[in-house]
Amino acid sequence: MADAPEVKPLELSRYCVPFTPFRGRVEDAVVCLVTTAGVRARADPPFQLDGDTSFRAIPGGASAGDLTYDDAHYDHACVDRDLNCVFPIDRLRELVAEGRLGGLTERHFSMGYSQALRELRATTIPALAREVDRVRPHAVLLTGG
Amino acid sequence: MQRALEMIGLSTVVITVEPEETEQARPPRALCPKGFAAGHSLGRPGDAELQKRILVDALGLLVAAPRPGEVVVRDYASP
Repeated sequence: MADAPEVKPLELSRYCVPFTPFRGRVEDAVVCLVTTAGVRARADPPFQLDGDTSFRAIPGGASAGDLTYDDAHYDHACVDRDLNCVFPIDRLRELVAEGRLGGLTERHFSMGYSQALRELRATTIPALAREVDRVRPHAVLLTGG
Repeated sequence: MQRALEMIGLSTVVITVEPEETEQARPPRALCPKGFAAGHSLGRPGDAELQKRILVDALGLLVAAPRPGEVVVRDYASP
C-alpha cells in the first residue's frame, strides 16, 4: 500500500458560491465590519506598506477619529478627511442609533495590503475568519480600500 | 475572505469598487456603488447621508432575493 494515491480533501470550486442564508431583520442584526484598507487603532503597530499579511482588531467602541490607516495603494484624498469612506464605523453607529441596524460587534477587523495570496489563503484568512466568528456577528460587512 | 466567512456559516456582504475583479471571486453578496474608486468606496468625504444610503443598500442585500456570484451595481450620482 506504499504507493496508494494521496487523498486530498475536497476543495470548493471557484465556480461554487458559498452562501449562508441570513435569518431575521437587518434592524435586529449585529454587524462586524471587516476591511482590507489597512485601518488600525492609532496605538497599534502600523501595517507594512509594501506587503503585510497580519491583521488588526479594532475596538467596537472606536470612532473614525480614533483610527488611522497605513496604505500606499489607493487614493487617500477621501480617507485623509473622512475614514468612513473606507471604514464606515461612525455611519454604522448612527444607523444603530436610528434603529435601522441592530448593533455592532465588540471588535472589528482590518487587513493590510498584501500580494502574498498563498499565505493569505492558508494562514491569514482562516485565522481572521475564526476571530470574526468569535465576536458572534449576525452578518459581516466587508469593504476594500 | 468573504467566501471563507460564508463557509463557516456567517452571512456577508461586500461593498466593492472593482466589480469585474469582485465578480471573478464569485461573491455571495456584493454591492458596487458605480463610479467610485478605491479609497472612496462609500463616496465623498463628509457626506454622511450618501454613506448611509450605500450602507443601507448593502445591508439590504442580506434580505433581498439571493443573487450569489453577482455584483449588484447601483448609481448614486443623483440624490
